[in-house]
Amino acid sequence: MNIYTISSLSAFVISIILALFVLFNGLHDKSRRAIIPIIICAGIWCAFPFMAAVGGINNSLFFTRLVYIAAVFTAPFFLNFGLTILELEKISHEKNLIRLSFAISIFFFLPFLTSSFFIKEVNLFKPYFTIRGGLIYLLFIAFFGIVCLYCFHKLFIAYKEAKGFRRNQLKYVFLGFFLAFISGLLHFSTSFNIPEFFPHDFLVVACMLVLIYSIIRYRLMDIRLAITRASIFIAVYTIVLGIPFALGIWFKPWLSAVWGVSWWMVPLGLMAIFATTGPFIYIYLNKRAEEEILKEQRRYQDTLKRASLGMTRVRDINKLLKMIVYTVARAVRLNHAAVYILNKEADGYILGSSRGSLNMDQIQTIGLDSPLIRYLLSSKSPLLLEELANNSSGRDDMPILDEALEQGRYQKNYLDNLLKAQLYTLSASVVIPSFIEDDLLGFMVLGEKRSGSIYTEDDLRVFTVLASQAGLAIENARFFESAKETHEQISQAEKMATLGTMADGLSHQMNNRFHAMSLIASDALDCIKSSDSKNSSSEIKELLSYLEHSAQRIKSNSLQGGDIVRGMLKYTRKGETGFAGVNLDELLNAALEMLQFKIKLNEIDIERNYPKEETNLKANFTQLQEVFFNLIDNAYDAMNERKAALKEPGYRGKVKIVAIPDPANRVTKIIVHDNGLGIKEEDQKKVFTPFFTTKISNRKGTGLGLYVIKKIITENHKGRIQVSSIYKQGTTFSLELATADTAEHANNAHSKGNIEIWGE
Amino acid sequence: MENTQKLLVVDDEIDVRNFFTNFFGRREIEVLAVPNAEEAIKMVVSQRPKAILLDIKLEGMDGIETLRRIKELDKQVKVIMVTGREDDEAKQETKRLGAYGFIHKPIELDEVEKLVMKLFPPK
Repeated sequence: MNIYTISSLSAFVISIILALFVLFNGLHDKSRRAIIPIIICAGIWCAFPFMAAVGGINNSLFFTRLVYIAAVFTAPFFLNFGLTILELEKISHEKNLIRLSFAISIFFFLPFLTSSFFIKEVNLFKPYFTIRGGLIYLLFIAFFGIVCLYCFHKLFIAYKEAKGFRRNQLKYVFLGFFLAFISGLLHFSTSFNIPEFFPHDFLVVACMLVLIYSIIRYRLMDIRLAITRASIFIAVYTIVLGIPFALGIWFKPWLSAVWGVSWWMVPLGLMAIFATTGPFIYIYLNKRAEEEILKEQRRYQDTLKRASLGMTRVRDINKLLKMIVYTVARAVRLNHAAVYILNKEADGYILGSSRGSLNMDQIQTIGLDSPLIRYLLSSKSPLLLEELANNSSGRDDMPILDEALEQGRYQKNYLDNLLKAQLYTLSASVVIPSFIEDDLLGFMVLGEKRSGSIYTEDDLRVFTVLASQAGLAIENARFFESAKETHEQISQAEKMATLGTMADGLSHQMNNRFHAMSLIASDALDCIKSSDSKNSSSEIKELLSYLEHSAQRIKSNSLQGGDIVRGMLKYTRKGETGFAGVNLDELLNAALEMLQFKIKLNEIDIERNYPKEETNLKANFTQLQEVFFNLIDNAYDAMNERKAALKEPGYRGKVKIVAIPDPANRVTKIIVHDNGLGIKEEDQKKVFTPFFTTKISNRKGTGLGLYVIKKIITENHKGRIQVSSIYKQGTTFSLELATADTAEHANNAHSKGNIEIWGE
Repeated sequence: MENTQKLLVVDDEIDVRNFFTNFFGRREIEVLAVPNAEEAIKMVVSQRPKAILLDIKLEGMDGIETLRRIKELDKQVKVIMVTGREDDEAKQETKRLGAYGFIHKPIELDEVEKLVMKLFPPK
């Protein structure tokens, strides 16, 4: 062993360790997949002096050739890695270059490896180690140089044009590998009788250290865990396998004295025991180490996980959003955090809650077509400001293949810049979207950590879980709110229905009471009238006239009360299910007769435009009465809303009812137009759906009126109903109903008390 | 047997019965008032009223059935049906059963007075 073999061994070990780090950290990123082979190949190549020394005089050539299998592939793997991190590996001619370099290695250099054209002999311990090569060896050096220089050239150009985080990343990659490259050159130079004044493999050690540094510093990956895992792995197995080995080497005399010929059973037995316990020790240590390293992270991740479990229990959306922001900002110790959630009416995402140093109030709404939303919708994954800075550069040396690609690149850069600008305005380090299926329900905006440390992938994973839990919780809360609302509406509708059936019996009872009262009053009046008061004192006369007046008032009031109740009775009566010829004018009279108890008809104008006698419909009187009752009632509400909303001087509500016969189809078209507030366009489609209501008046609509109307017209009457409306101008309902030739005027007489005498 | 100069009022509302008793009492007509069909039938048998104001809606036996029974007992008695409801079918049925006439509620006092006074001319 000398310093050269030690440098060789250490370069090999550190390369393998680094490869293990990366491996332990997961291979979900293509640049990670690409870095492993180049590290391993370089590391194995570095093992040359050591392996040659191990082989000794007799076997050094064989071991050197073995090591050179890796050396042959170093350059192609380096090219592959370089182009991969520059994201150029998909460009066809670059891809072909990678393929070509591999092809040359496999089909040209590999077959010559055992021949003396490649490696003739190996000189050991001069004190450095030298290869004497043939013609192919010269070609190999040239190949190695050209491929590596090409790759460095690419890296350098990209580095010069890159910015920020990306620039640093490229700098360290370039620097590290360039050290390794120099090491390679020194290795080659010994073949040309240039003495190796310096153990060049240390340069590879330096290269690996630079890479490790850049990984930790610039987060090529979150390496802390991987380092720990790999270190523990190596330490445990060094001990497990090393102790029996050392025992065998250093204590052989002592062992053979005690155990005789089968002394080797002891180290072997120990090795068997250690090999069995090794994995358990590793697992145990690994767990403890992880706990220690991730203490802080675990702490807030646990808090967040607990919080996300509790979230679905919160049913108030505002409270929920506040809780999410509060929990995240506090647990992770963020400068600020905010939550935006989708609001369809606002056509964007509105600030649900925010917390922290920044005043987010000025960014209340984020539009649906803003770069951020577009990005989140297409990527469906967390957005890091850092990575954005990374992505937007590094392609600048890409050859311009055609106009369209150039255009696309320009556009992408442009969009990226917009996106970056938006993140800066939000002071966002990370944006975590919350999806339910394909719908972007909302997103969390997270600022920097107060500790200044980076967001690790573990963090992002926890946040993503939290965000999706939050999404579910929000959905849950929304559902609960709307269910509550629906439930209220249903129970309201049920109440109305119950009231309807009750009203029938109730109004009969009341009618009887009013009738009795009117008769009692009539009796009193009759009594006073027939009494002989000529001789009574003036006091008595005065008293009688007073009582007469009172009785008269009672009589007329109870008759009027009876009228109202009978009107109700007519309205609620269900019995009449038959269809008959119905006169539209009579129908409207009946509807208005009912309406006068609900609205002030003298406040509005009602214009009827149709031939009174001839406009007859084949219909159910009671049902259509309800239809017109509701339509005019709605119109009245809309007029009041217009009054309140627009405050036009001299405005007066007007309902226009027009009937147009269509004799060819035996239908009559009835148009009910009002000059109320109108319906917003987005609401027009929904007016016929049950429980939809825009009425904000204190008596609050049930949202069932138009739904019932539609059912009556389309299902019961097989007719048609349509709505068209211009907001702030008015609403028009068009109905189409079957025409009747004549109408039965049966219901005219009954409101008046009358007598029929048939006699004997 | 001759019918007496009595008016029978059948109505389950005491105020209605009182009204007719007082109103026609002041017009020198003897009024009998009962609340239900059973008593009405007893009265028809025992008092033989000349005319009856019969509410079509009664507790227990309804007005139409009562009319049928009464007409079986006494073909001469003039039964005037009183109703609060619009019901063509019932109207036709009572006509068929031999009712004398039909009064709608609310009662127009003048008309009822005229009708009854015609049946009970003052002596």
